[in-house]
Amino acid sequence: MTGFLQQVIQGLSTGAIYASLALALVLIYQFTGIVNFAQGELAMFSTYIAWQFTAAGMPFWLALVLTLVVSFAGGMLIERVIIRPVEGAPELTLVIVTVGLFIFVNAAAGWIWSFLIKDFPNPFPGGAFEVGGLTVGFQTLGVFAVVGIVMGLLYLLFQHTKIGLGMRAVATNPVSARLVGIRVGVTLALGWGLAATVGAVSGVLVAPLLFLEPNMMGGVLIYAFAAATLGGFDSPAGAVAGGLIVGVAETLAGAYVGAIGPDLKVGVPLVIILGVLLLRPQGLFGRAVVERA
Amino acid sequence: MSELVVSGLNAGYGGAQVLHDVSLTVGEGEICAILGPNGAGKTTLLRALSGMVKGRGGVRLGDAELLGRSPDALARMGVAHVPEGRGTFMPLTVEENLRLGAYTRRDRLEEDLDRIYGYFPALKPRLKQAAGSLSGGEQQMLALGRALMLRPRLLLLDEPSLGLAPLITRELFRIVRTINEQERTTVVVVEQNAHLALGIAQQAHVLETGRIVLSGTAAQIQEDEQVAQSYLGYRV
Repeated sequence: MTGFLQQVIQGLSTGAIYASLALALVLIYQFTGIVNFAQGELAMFSTYIAWQFTAAGMPFWLALVLTLVVSFAGGMLIERVIIRPVEGAPELTLVIVTVGLFIFVNAAAGWIWSFLIKDFPNPFPGGAFEVGGLTVGFQTLGVFAVVGIVMGLLYLLFQHTKIGLGMRAVATNPVSARLVGIRVGVTLALGWGLAATVGAVSGVLVAPLLFLEPNMMGGVLIYAFAAATLGGFDSPAGAVAGGLIVGVAETLAGAYVGAIGPDLKVGVPLVIILGVLLLRPQGLFGRAVVERA
Repeated sequence: MSELVVSGLNAGYGGAQVLHDVSLTVGEGEICAILGPNGAGKTTLLRALSGMVKGRGGVRLGDAELLGRSPDALARMGVAHVPEGRGTFMPLTVEENLRLGAYTRRDRLEEDLDRIYGYFPALKPRLKQAAGSLSGGEQQMLALGRALMLRPRLLLLDEPSLGLAPLITRELFRIVRTINEQERTTVVVVEQNAHLALGIAQQAHVLETGRIVLSGTAAQIQEDEQVAQSYLGYRV
């Protein structure tokens, strides 16, 4: 039983990382209707920026804050330069643009920092503490804390600030938002900036667990897609819940289902995506949209 | 002041011109009804006034030229447009919808919210409810309330009666009249229900295929039987 709970906690912790990338996906989808395949690569690029800051001798947390600021600006810039020209284009065009962005960012990171793996500093102490027979690592706890703070801040932004209200208005009805005087273009750019920031958090958290290299986020992106699909692409809370569920499912399947084991567990998110699309396409927390023919 | 002067307005979508050389003047604090059959360009006229479609010619509100500005810039100048379909932010609450109406303002809104509840008491118990759960009539009231939160100088209403029961529509027009009288807001209302619109307007214009074919005081238009038959589709 203790072993089982141990696995659940481990799963929740990795799930929290998936949740933050899934949240980034959902934010962009809500604002621009785009499924951003480059989200993981943007997070990877942000992580390199953080690495660069720490390599220059900056303390980790200062490097993190600076990275988030740079990521925010970068996200806004990408919206302005790459996404704005194809705004309102057919879905296929948008998908191709974000896949192109994926390849570009991946190659750029390899060109700047090489494809050799780098050690990313772990901001959390190595120890662990015990509660009722369970050992919880400070690493695990730290991930929870950081993701929790990010979610809390996002919640405050969207629910309790005027700019957050404006952002939700743009997400639900851009035409009407413009009529009440909201600068929709600026708001969309803010949305991309915000998503890039939240995604950067996932990259910085996952890098100490893996190694820093340009293809680091490939697997995480698949888990994040599973999380967003499970939770519902139009529900930020759903993305978080989906991330946690996917994390736990992945860990448990790897530990207890002999046929899966640690090697095949990357198949778990694909099974989840398929299952959700077949049984409940709008996701656990999403809204089904019914249109009259 | 806030007199609306439209002169030689041409507007349309892409290559298709809808409005041809439309000119009209609405005095400050007046209600102007735009009548005409489907496809006459009534909605396009409102869209041109609120910046949703581009136009050529002149549209002045007081001292300011409105043409060539974006809808959000015009909202900041005090143009409130209640669009076709009401433009409700469905998943947001009633109160959030109202607060969004005042997005361009920086002062306190409590007094304005109370003013809106005064006009539309039905909204008050539903403040925390999702706007999408309101009935059609309540949503139209919410749309009007949202527009009023801007403290508009110019209020543009597109078919407020659409899809509403006659009793509710009458009530709505009575409220528009009251608002106009109390706040001296200049109103341009596009309406299929000519009888109702003429009942609250001082002046009216009949549009047909993008041109103004008849203008006059509401009473004149109301009395002109031939006009009524050919343009408004009913006998007076």
